[in-house]
Amino acid sequence: MRKKALYTNDPHIQALAQIVGEEAILYRKEDLIAYDCDGFTVHRHLPKAVVFPKHTAEVAAVVKYCHEHDLPFLARGAGTGLSGGAIPLNGEVVISLVRMKRLISVDLENRRAVVEPGFVNLKLTNSVANRGYYYAPDPSSQYCCTIGGNVAENAGGAHCLKYGVTTNHILGLEVVLPNGEMIEIGENGILDPPGYDLLGLLTGSEGTLGIVTKITVRILKSPEAKQTVLAYFDRVNDASQTVSDIISAGIVPAALEMMDQTAIEAVEAAAFPVGHPNDIEALLLIEVDGISAGIDEQIEEILHICRTRNVREVKVAQDEQERAKWWANRKTGFGAMGAISPDYLVQDGVIPRSKLPEVLQQIQQISEKYGLRIANIFHAGDGNLHPLVLFDSEKPGETEKALAAGSECLQACAAVGGSITGEHGVGIEKKEEMRFIFTDEEITAQTNIRDVFNRKNLLNAGKLFPTPGRCVEVKRA
Amino acid sequence: MHTAQVVEELNALFPHMHKEEQEAHPLGNGGAVALFPQTEDEIRNVVTYAREKKKKLAIIGGGTKRGFGGLVERTDLLLSLANYRGIVEHAVADMVITVKAGTNFQQLQDYLAEYRQKIALDPFLPLSATIGGVIAANDSGPKRLGYGAARDSVIGLRLIYPDGTVIRTGGKVVKNVAGYDMNKLFIGSMGTLGILSEVTVKLRPLPKYESLVLLAFPTGDTDTIRSFAVQFLDSMMEPVCLELLNPSLAEQLTGKRVYTLVIGFEDVKSAVHYQEAFVQRMQPPHTTMTILPPQEAQKFWQTFYEISPNGAMPPTDRAVEAAVKIGVVNLDVISVLRESELLQAFNVDIRAHGGLGHGLCRVYIKGAAESVVSSIEQLQAIAKQRKGYAVVTHLPLSFRQTIDVWGGKPSYFFLLEGIKAKIDPQRMFNDQRFVGGI
Repeated sequence: MRKKALYTNDPHIQALAQIVGEEAILYRKEDLIAYDCDGFTVHRHLPKAVVFPKHTAEVAAVVKYCHEHDLPFLARGAGTGLSGGAIPLNGEVVISLVRMKRLISVDLENRRAVVEPGFVNLKLTNSVANRGYYYAPDPSSQYCCTIGGNVAENAGGAHCLKYGVTTNHILGLEVVLPNGEMIEIGENGILDPPGYDLLGLLTGSEGTLGIVTKITVRILKSPEAKQTVLAYFDRVNDASQTVSDIISAGIVPAALEMMDQTAIEAVEAAAFPVGHPNDIEALLLIEVDGISAGIDEQIEEILHICRTRNVREVKVAQDEQERAKWWANRKTGFGAMGAISPDYLVQDGVIPRSKLPEVLQQIQQISEKYGLRIANIFHAGDGNLHPLVLFDSEKPGETEKALAAGSECLQACAAVGGSITGEHGVGIEKKEEMRFIFTDEEITAQTNIRDVFNRKNLLNAGKLFPTPGRCVEVKRA
Repeated sequence: MHTAQVVEELNALFPHMHKEEQEAHPLGNGGAVALFPQTEDEIRNVVTYAREKKKKLAIIGGGTKRGFGGLVERTDLLLSLANYRGIVEHAVADMVITVKAGTNFQQLQDYLAEYRQKIALDPFLPLSATIGGVIAANDSGPKRLGYGAARDSVIGLRLIYPDGTVIRTGGKVVKNVAGYDMNKLFIGSMGTLGILSEVTVKLRPLPKYESLVLLAFPTGDTDTIRSFAVQFLDSMMEPVCLELLNPSLAEQLTGKRVYTLVIGFEDVKSAVHYQEAFVQRMQPPHTTMTILPPQEAQKFWQTFYEISPNGAMPPTDRAVEAAVKIGVVNLDVISVLRESELLQAFNVDIRAHGGLGHGLCRVYIKGAAESVVSSIEQLQAIAKQRKGYAVVTHLPLSFRQTIDVWGGKPSYFFLLEGIKAKIDPQRMFNDQRFVGGI
């Protein structure tokens, strides 16, 4: 943001500049281009303007102005969302919350912290780590994504198998409603405030019910001990079966991740190679944490299970450095696709764990059908698949093919009783796919709730729900 | 229309459904005629009938929470889900179960124990409560610290809306962000939005070993309790509960009338013993520590979960019983328990406990009517002073009509009202059962 005089006759821009200050608004095309999409780059649209409020009152004033003048608007954090939730489809006024990035308070005795929405996820853990605490939800983008965005998307991460996703860690929210009114839910982070669970409803509502301006989160004490296992499998089915066996044995791993051969090829070609063999069909990254006295026993059991499932090689991380190396390799997995493909599209289906072998096979068939490679890097422990469809957008028609292949992967997940998204959200990307899992009545039940909060539907319209009336068309496709 | 006429109509429409004419009940929340459907279609048919005839429905499971909220003695129909029970699907390897809402909670846990699995919820009165009731009332116990609440376990619901449609929320997978997280809306909604038909929850493995450490503080010095709790919570131990009992409740459960901390460990055996030893090392002077091994720990819990007043049992004497749930910032639980001791001045019996890791307290009051009401008002003041809330979870109807058991309306009440009006504009389901008369 640079300081400049306003060169516009647009009264709305002038009014918004009055609210946030002239240095805190972008409205010229060249400045707006950076805000025409988020982590989902297939659709792009320019916003009308981008404002950078400093505090809740400014957010409320901007929202009130938009509400009164029927200007569409939406909130944006770091823009790392993968489903297009922050794309200004309708030429919205984008309310960027990156300047509201304070850590307001930390109360270790009562295990809670209060942050502004623009506060970066990993910074919270870093702020309390010296006292042995951390914030549990750890999406792969945690080094740059904001907690406000995490609330909007109900973000997950590798460790949510044991510790839950964002919604399990939100204790209170200050929210600016779509008419500019401010409310506070879960004041002081006290559990079970009387009334319907609006905290639960707002978390994961993808910025369509309100704009969160203050968040009370739960923080946890770091586990006493942590052990990480890396297991290489010649056959993907053995890896899948191992996942199932570990869970059935009554072990609750902190994380249980899987990568297939294509994914391994990519991560080994990218910035954080580990030296995985290139001829295995799958690897598992398994982490157990908890009381030190019980860890060895669990690790022994995991090693035993791996061996009974024909593991080629299995090893326990010898130190924190090795563990960190394995995790860096995994967490940068999506970006690593760039090393083997010009473009990729990531999907986010969820299936019952026991259906893993079956669905992985179907994804393989989809890959063959479209002639596009599909890599799989995913949270196997909770059945959250991330098929990465590799394509080249320069080749005519290939983007469409990739989108169709991705959608078909979701259909395969839905067909075994799964879901179309486990942590990335519906956004623009998967709104038609909502019909794979919900009936018209069930979708209406949800839009009815939206109407209670967002009556004019000016806030982030056109997201999350399928376009009415397109049902038949989609089903025929 | 007279009850007899209604019964005649119902007999014609639902010849095979069990029905009972109802007397007035001291806890209210009844209906002139009780219906016991056995299938989802039967529930839908009852809803359709009620809608067409402009009748209101009260919904009941095991009846344990009959004294929780509600201003109506008897509405038109009481829809009981007690005969709508059983397991719909148990995906053992996926650790997910779908059950009908009227399924008895303890029976469900007993069934799951055969698979070394459990629902990670510890509600009160599990012997009589149904899973549907537990979810609708968002009940949770001391182990919420370790395992979370209904909102953390429920992954899918199947509901019948007032317009008769069947709505599914969530799904059958443990991680799911497709659309709004509608499950949350119905958990704790006291049956005011939809009738729970099926509940899908994720399961946890049964712990391989468990124990309970009882740490008794005979001096009654709550500062010592606080500093122990702060130090213990700052350690890396992983208790599933850290529940403080007031002296009279401790006497009932342990035989000693002193403040007692109940610290639960559930893990592999070596980890449990390691944590017991840890507590022993940091045990404050002048306290006594008792370790209950698995069987005794389980016995403790069985007694514990039955201490709450049970709406399904007729009162045993003339004294009025009340239960209050108080939510405060975690460590303020100690102050709430200490201050609630002073209510004994009203000549009431006060038993109380609260979780130092989650901030939820339960206070049980028994005594003469007037004293009980004064005690409740006092507790609401105590909670308010600490910026928390006090909700009365059990009280006879006549007193519920005189005090606001929900302790007032939240500032965003218009949203709650708006949601109710969208889903149930005729206020057909559990009318006036919830916050602000919703």
